[in-house]
Amino acid sequence: MILSMKNIQKSFDGLGVLRDISFQVDKGEVVSVIGPSGSGKSTLLRCATFLEQIDSGEIRYMDIPAVTTDASGRGHYVSPAELRQIKRYYGLVFQQFNLFPHYTVLRNLMEAPVVVQKRDKEEVRAEAMELLRKMGLQDRGDAYPYQLSGGQQQRVAIARALAMNPSILFFDEPTSALDPELTGEVLKVIRQLAEEHMTMVIVTHEMAFARAVSDRVIFMADGVIVEEGDPEAVLGDPSQARTRQFLKNYQR
Amino acid sequence: MKKLLTVSLALVLVIALLCAGSPAAFAARNTSFIMGIDAEYPPFSFMDDNGDYSGFDVEVCRAVCDKLGWKLEIFPVNWDNKLIQLDAGECDCVWSGMTILDSMKEAGYVISAPYYDNTQVVLVKADSGITTSAELEGKDVAVQLGTSGEALLKGDLADLAATFNQLVTCDSFLKCFTELDGNGVDAVFVDKPVAEAYASENEGFVIIDENLGAEQYGIAFRAADQELCDAVEAAVAELVADGTYAEIAANYPKIVNNLLFLSGSEAADELIASDCVEAAAAVDSAA
Amino acid sequence: MSLTVMILKMSQGLGRTCAIFFLTLLFSLPLGMLVALLRMSKNRLVSLLTRAVISVLRGTPLMLQLLAVTYGPYYLFHWSISRNKLIPVVIAFAINYAAYFAEIYRGGIESIPVGQYEAAEVLGFTRGQTFFRIILPQVIKRILPSITNEIVTLVKDTSMAFTVSYQEMFTIGKEIANSQTSFLPFVVAGVFYFIFNGVVDYGMGALEKRLNYYR
Repeated sequence: MILSMKNIQKSFDGLGVLRDISFQVDKGEVVSVIGPSGSGKSTLLRCATFLEQIDSGEIRYMDIPAVTTDASGRGHYVSPAELRQIKRYYGLVFQQFNLFPHYTVLRNLMEAPVVVQKRDKEEVRAEAMELLRKMGLQDRGDAYPYQLSGGQQQRVAIARALAMNPSILFFDEPTSALDPELTGEVLKVIRQLAEEHMTMVIVTHEMAFARAVSDRVIFMADGVIVEEGDPEAVLGDPSQARTRQFLKNYQR
Repeated sequence: MKKLLTVSLALVLVIALLCAGSPAAFAARNTSFIMGIDAEYPPFSFMDDNGDYSGFDVEVCRAVCDKLGWKLEIFPVNWDNKLIQLDAGECDCVWSGMTILDSMKEAGYVISAPYYDNTQVVLVKADSGITTSAELEGKDVAVQLGTSGEALLKGDLADLAATFNQLVTCDSFLKCFTELDGNGVDAVFVDKPVAEAYASENEGFVIIDENLGAEQYGIAFRAADQELCDAVEAAVAELVADGTYAEIAANYPKIVNNLLFLSGSEAADELIASDCVEAAAAVDSAA
Repeated sequence: MSLTVMILKMSQGLGRTCAIFFLTLLFSLPLGMLVALLRMSKNRLVSLLTRAVISVLRGTPLMLQLLAVTYGPYYLFHWSISRNKLIPVVIAFAINYAAYFAEIYRGGIESIPVGQYEAAEVLGFTRGQTFFRIILPQVIKRILPSITNEIVTLVKDTSMAFTVSYQEMFTIGKEIANSQTSFLPFVVAGVFYFIFNGVVDYGMGALEKRLNYYR
């Protein structure tokens, strides 16, 4: 088991955004999270990556606790040093890419492994080049982000996350900021990663893609998991009315 | 119509430029007499406790204006630029313990007959142990920029100044004395009456008087204002004659000994004897 | 006095003008960053206090601050007035300019999208690494035009050192103007400042160009 989140509670200004969410991700699993905007699916990802703090609940990576909750129901985070250790296990791909504009593509990939993980520069470079090849960007290593198309930028962002050798990769609506004709190249890369059994959690609006690539689909609404299971079941023949309603609106 | 407007506008502009280019003589334009002073130069000119301009020169000038029936206005000049401001018409004279320099006469300014003989002295702290100007070697000495002391140290006394560690030019006497008091400098090179006034009001200072650079004060007017100068000189002479001048001077005991018109009646007599009185009448009628 | 002699004499003061200029930049640029960080502190008291100090420094004339730094300690505590006026001059200038730089830095830092911080955080950068490697380089590029503005102003402001009797170029010009009854030294001073700022403009322009490799 790579990630386990139990009884996660999170509210903004007294408004419950995540209400008692529990789920786990096993090694090699591809999980898609779908749901209407405001359902809390992005917040779930931000909590899993510690960009937001949860109020209570339990988060574990590789069975190592990052957040625990005491008897009084208050969540406790482990020390920053321990948290930094846990951060090695995951990577996150943002909707807006968030590449570092002042670095070349190659340096975007190499900076964290060299500076944070203190790995050998040449070794990292070789790995980064290999990743770029995999993304079909082997000749853009010296380009700056602004010189790339949105799809290319998002592929660089995926490569940047992969360069850290994470055990699990999160995607926060990776194609939402892209022009429709550019989503394909990004989805292709994610599909390729799925085939290599990369563990991934993907928050997405691409239903067809989720259906094709996922081992499991989670449907969220109003801060709770409404339904989860086999993609064919959840997307093809949902058991909950709320899911059906969402999918019906979506197809329109 | 439009053309006429353009032409007349151009004409106005040309006239304005002409007026600006050559400072007009006093009588031609003025209703009041503007006295240019250094507002920080006691006892000749300074701001008194009430915030009014006062001092020996100011009082004499006021008496002169009373005598001639002029309205007195006082304008504190920037001492470094006093002659430029005089040319610009911001004042009609510079009358404020001003040392007469040859360069002023060469530049064409009308300078009155000297009325005060000034001597430069060195003010030091009593506990400094300095007793002669020769002992200023390697010391820091302050002087006010634009004063005769500065001119002297850069001219006739340049050899003496060369022995100093540094010559600090301040933009007011207050700063010179503050520097001395706060050990920012070792000595201040300053006009004798100013030094005497300061040393008498503040304890712990001594004056080294070696009769350095004896020099004289006068009043500066624009090149075109010879008549104005004559009128003022004549009025001063009358004040000397009727005793008003001595009365005013009595309020400033520190400088009385250096006032030329009181040291002997020769200068006063000479002035009265001249035909300046007529000139005053001429200026009056023109105004 | 010939024009050559005048220019020669005034260029002797140029060394001191340059001393004020470079030392002020040396101290105020980092100090401004410190002030900006204090200003953005999450501690409300620290932030408010810094804000007050900045507004005093920006809201009062530099000339007044020069006098306060030079003569204030003497009037308040009877400390000796510094013989080397460069020290109080640079202190006053550095503090004053730090206040201006701080506000420029703050504007620059706050203009960086939050996504940059989040990307760095997820990649495991520490706060220090994030600031110096990710945020600061982008901030510098963004604020460079405003910094150039301040530096150009600084060149001209050096003449204010005259207030506390520091013999820089403009003071010497004033002395010559006074003794020679001539306006020419002011013209020479103007030309000096203009050339100085020309060099500054060129240098900053070249720097901006060098940072133009990305958008």
